[in-house]
Amino acid sequence: MTSRRRKAEPVAADKPASIGVMTDALTSTDAIQEAFRGHGYITDRSIATAVFLALKLERPLLLEGEAGVGKTELAKVLASSLGTRLIRLQCYEGLDVNTAVYEWNYPRQMLEIRLLEARGQAEHATAHDIFGPDFLIRRPLLQALEASAEGDPPVLLIDEIDRADEEFEAYLLEILSDFQVTVPEIGTIKADRPPRVILTSNRTREVHDALKRRCLYHWIDYPSAAKEFEIVQARVPAAPETLARAVVGFVHRLREADLTKVPGIAETLDWAAALMALGAAELTPELVDETLGVVLKYEEDIRQVRGETVKTYLSEVAARG
Amino acid sequence: MTRDPAIVSSGPREAIDGHRLLARAVGFGRALRTAGLAVDLTSEIDFARALGVVDIGDREVVRAAGAAVFTRRRDDRPVYDRVFDRYWRRRSLQPNLEAPGMDQRPEAVPSDEGSPEDAAMAGDERSELPEDRQGIPIPTEGDADDDVAAPDLVTISPDAYSRSETIRHRDFDRMTSQELRDAERLVDLLTPKLELRRTRRYEHHHHGRRLAPRAMFRRNLGTGGEILEWVWRRPVKRPRPLVVLCDISGSMERHSRLLLRFIQALSASSAVRTESFVFGTRLTRVTRLLKDRNRDRALAKVADTVTDWAGGTRIGESFREFNHKWARRTLRTSGVVIVVSDGWDRGDPRLVRLETARLRRNCHRLVWLNPLAGTPGYQPLAAGMRAAYPYIDDFLAAGTVASLERLGEILAGGRAADTRRGSEAAAHVAPSPDAMRTFAPPPKVTRRPGDPFAAQPLG
Repeated sequence: MTSRRRKAEPVAADKPASIGVMTDALTSTDAIQEAFRGHGYITDRSIATAVFLALKLERPLLLEGEAGVGKTELAKVLASSLGTRLIRLQCYEGLDVNTAVYEWNYPRQMLEIRLLEARGQAEHATAHDIFGPDFLIRRPLLQALEASAEGDPPVLLIDEIDRADEEFEAYLLEILSDFQVTVPEIGTIKADRPPRVILTSNRTREVHDALKRRCLYHWIDYPSAAKEFEIVQARVPAAPETLARAVVGFVHRLREADLTKVPGIAETLDWAAALMALGAAELTPELVDETLGVVLKYEEDIRQVRGETVKTYLSEVAARG
Repeated sequence: MTRDPAIVSSGPREAIDGHRLLARAVGFGRALRTAGLAVDLTSEIDFARALGVVDIGDREVVRAAGAAVFTRRRDDRPVYDRVFDRYWRRRSLQPNLEAPGMDQRPEAVPSDEGSPEDAAMAGDERSELPEDRQGIPIPTEGDADDDVAAPDLVTISPDAYSRSETIRHRDFDRMTSQELRDAERLVDLLTPKLELRRTRRYEHHHHGRRLAPRAMFRRNLGTGGEILEWVWRRPVKRPRPLVVLCDISGSMERHSRLLLRFIQALSASSAVRTESFVFGTRLTRVTRLLKDRNRDRALAKVADTVTDWAGGTRIGESFREFNHKWARRTLRTSGVVIVVSDGWDRGDPRLVRLETARLRRNCHRLVWLNPLAGTPGYQPLAAGMRAAYPYIDDFLAAGTVASLERLGEILAGGRAADTRRGSEAAAHVAPSPDAMRTFAPPPKVTRRPGDPFAAQPLG
């Protein structure tokens, strides 16, 4: 915490007790892999290394990958592995400082002025009476900086940065290099230890190079069949092994096909859960046809795969073992 | 990923010489930069720091650490991996220069990475290349992307159009000053007319139609909540991004030069975001190449990269590739797609039909420039053109500077308001094989006399 900073009221009332202890646990690539596994998130060493470096070098980590490969989930798991808060900023076009950093609570200030008038104190009131921390609405970026400034760096997830427009990206650039925000009426809030920042992008557009330069980068690929099978077992433990293998095999076969949008891990998990809900014990062509909408989200793709292709894929998967 | 049993964990950390490690990191960064990655000093320092904190006895961890630091996009990764394999293998040949801990690098790459050819290629190089001063192999241009940059070695797979795919290079002469002026004038004419898109960002403006409550409260705090001053806001408007798909096949040969100049001038103007692709038998993205400030060099680069100049055309496949690979990345904010092609196509018209329909659904407006359309009595009868025609919003002639100027009016949006409805209706009819068989020739394009290049309402 810096001394220059005027003390703001504490943000997180529900501070977890186990900080520090858990932080120290993530001291190596293997430890991260283990900790993540403990939270049901199966990774490979390259992701674990990228996360480890991001923590160690205190750099933001930019994760890119197709939809549904677990980018957002990684941030959540990181927060729970560290035993800290997760602060999430969902990006969209037109996102501005008022919704990302802070905003004054104008209606409340108006009321306060009226109250002061009614009590006859309006004459003696100063700017601090209405431009104080009580009237400040803290948005995710400010929350994250304040929490860090108080010695409890949270995990800050800036989700789908590619959806924000260039203006916001430029602003973010400033925050990510200085980790400080100035509220003119209150003062500068600066984090000595920056929050752990995870940015995700679905690559609907290229994120600007200047922003990338401030981050470590990792492209999350679809996992191998063996890894994905582990993931299904971890996330849908009720699914019998044969069914899980068949589901993973089929999804992997789909990813090789020429489709508009191939299914991600999220779809695999949804599908396994859907099949469990239907009480299925094995994957039959009829069952696949009926539930194909869980896996494929484009009408052209469903039309292309349904029927004969499903049977072919199923026999191929069975043959591969 | 399992550890390579051949790798012994490095000795105590203190034994590592920091300067040497930094030199290694910088050298590796330099090798990556030579191979075309955007590496700066910060990332080299980061890499050196990273080597200090990860287990450098583990090759895969070092590889992942470098990837996190040096790569910035997915396409960087294959290049990175190639340079990594080569650089760190070469280093192991010079044990005296090695930092401790680097000594244990295995001589051979673990069998699960890299294709056999890769290993063989790199192996050969080891014996052939002279050791340069730093011992850093300088990858040739071909390393950056073997398939694209080595056109002489490209073998066409059997299912490709091997008869027609003549791989030819184009020599662009230096741009004459006349051409330069033409291209620039064209864009100058175009820019103020571009169709605008309302963004979700607002600006205060006294002609705005929405209240700006934040600013209003703030300005009226002084009066204790009595609203005396009204503040208005309106959406900020930006030109819609453009995506240009330009046909460079044999039949378009005469026009491609002018069109490329045009696209280049468009990319160079900062007013509008332009993505450009050229296609013949395959689709090539040329956006980055055209960004080069030196216009002649940019065109030379395009000429070198594109390998299917003046060959056959596969419109369907090229559109398909665009729809799958690029549409989501380039058309997110509902851009305008401009296709420049004469519609002569060697592929399956059904595919053209399907993919044009999909392309139309993905964009705000689909404009087709056809150099032949300026010919009196032209009707879109070429198979590809006929298949694509129902989904086009604006169909107009192209090929001369004069006709390209017309494009400005189209892109300005206003006048073509009623042409859109017709094609939109068409775009939502799912194309069926039956429809293809009974496909009627498209309605005759009626032209106003004396205005052969005017945009015509469709159907």
